[in-house]
Amino acid sequence: MRRWLNLFIWNMRFQARYGFYLLYAFLTIFYTVVLFALPITWRGKTAAMLIFSDPAAMGLFFMGAIVLLEKSQRVTAFFAITPLKAFEYVLSKVLSLNAIALVVAGVLAYVSGSRQVFLVLVGTFLSGAIFTLFGVLVATKITSLNQFILFTVPVEAAGFLPAILHLFGITPDYLKYYPANACMDLVSGRGVTFIGLLFTVALIIFLFYFACHEMLRMWQEQGGAKI
Amino acid sequence: MRTIRISFIHMLGFVRRDMMLLAAGVSPIFIGLVIRLGIPFSEKMLTEMTGLPYVLVPYFSLFDILYAAIIPVIFCFITAMVMLEERDDHIDRYLFVTQLGRFGYYVSRVVLPAAFSFVVTAILLPACKLSDLSVLELLFLSLAGTLQGIIIALLVVGFSANKLEGMAVTKVSSLVMLGSLAPYFIPGPYRYLLSFMPSFWTGMVITEKQPIFMLVSVLVAALWIVVLWKKVGRKNN
Repeated sequence: MRRWLNLFIWNMRFQARYGFYLLYAFLTIFYTVVLFALPITWRGKTAAMLIFSDPAAMGLFFMGAIVLLEKSQRVTAFFAITPLKAFEYVLSKVLSLNAIALVVAGVLAYVSGSRQVFLVLVGTFLSGAIFTLFGVLVATKITSLNQFILFTVPVEAAGFLPAILHLFGITPDYLKYYPANACMDLVSGRGVTFIGLLFTVALIIFLFYFACHEMLRMWQEQGGAKI
Repeated sequence: MRTIRISFIHMLGFVRRDMMLLAAGVSPIFIGLVIRLGIPFSEKMLTEMTGLPYVLVPYFSLFDILYAAIIPVIFCFITAMVMLEERDDHIDRYLFVTQLGRFGYYVSRVVLPAAFSFVVTAILLPACKLSDLSVLELLFLSLAGTLQGIIIALLVVGFSANKLEGMAVTKVSSLVMLGSLAPYFIPGPYRYLLSFMPSFWTGMVITEKQPIFMLVSVLVAALWIVVLWKKVGRKNN
């Protein structure tokens, strides 16, 4: 537990050093200004789209650069020979990035006048976990940033498009069980079905298992050789 | 000129290995098709659902502005990522001391891809546009988008020291495109808070139908490029 906590704090310091907190402080102010500039009736849906596509999806956007930078600094090579477990590494990544996402989502939900801030936070956490885990999975397979960006396009298309259509009510009813749509229901402050929630949690467990598996494999196969 | 051409071809080879060249070739056409076919289809569905005479039609020209901006941004974003890779791998500083030089490096990495993206935009935009745009407006939108692409590439390279910072700056710099939304959605004098953004004036050109705003848009973009070019130069020193 202490080792994991140290890793979690190290991740937060890493994110602070590379300007994540500054970036999201700026983006929060910018999004707040945008929300205030919009008519009140538009704010709820706009806030949901902003939360879902940015703070919740930040792991998918940044994970490639994080892992590549760690690789170039040989940090992952050191992880491979410490007692650190892959699940501790992945969990610390998910939770440290989600910490930023939750703060930003909380502010945007409050500004948009949402009365279901708790539901928004739960939705942000679940969608943040899904996107970050996808980001980790893709990051273990790539060697350059352009590759990462290219490989995340299908994930973004499968994640954002149905969820945004669902937000505007132009998807068939059965798609409310689709994890991205269930997350969007929560992020927009609406209730979620039990089955939708179940599928979402199942997807997170599945992705977490594979992300840990692939991360361990990446640690063991650095520089073209097995450690 | 020969060294710049070789450097540009070298970069294309680098990008091709990541399949990004294929993506850069396909994505403008794909996005154009989605806009040309998907938006009118969405409009039809939305009008049937809401019973309103139109929903997206007033924003068709905004989709055209964004499409004209996205193509150069894709090209310049890819080259910005290559420059970040080259910086992390310490390749750029070696290239600076060759015949190519610092100026030639940035011409091959920023100016040439931007010029290429202008041509692609000018070809695809007339085929994929949703609103009635004159030839002058089409050429202006292609130029405005290209200048924005250059601005984003220079922002990424000028304000980041490594890949991760580059991604963070990319996130902020992509907001440069959103100024064009202001004339459509932000009322009255408040919209002018975003007048420092070239894309704001691009939006004004289309919504207000005032050709003088074309000049303002290009001048604001040129100012950004000059300031950022100096910033990049200072960073390398």
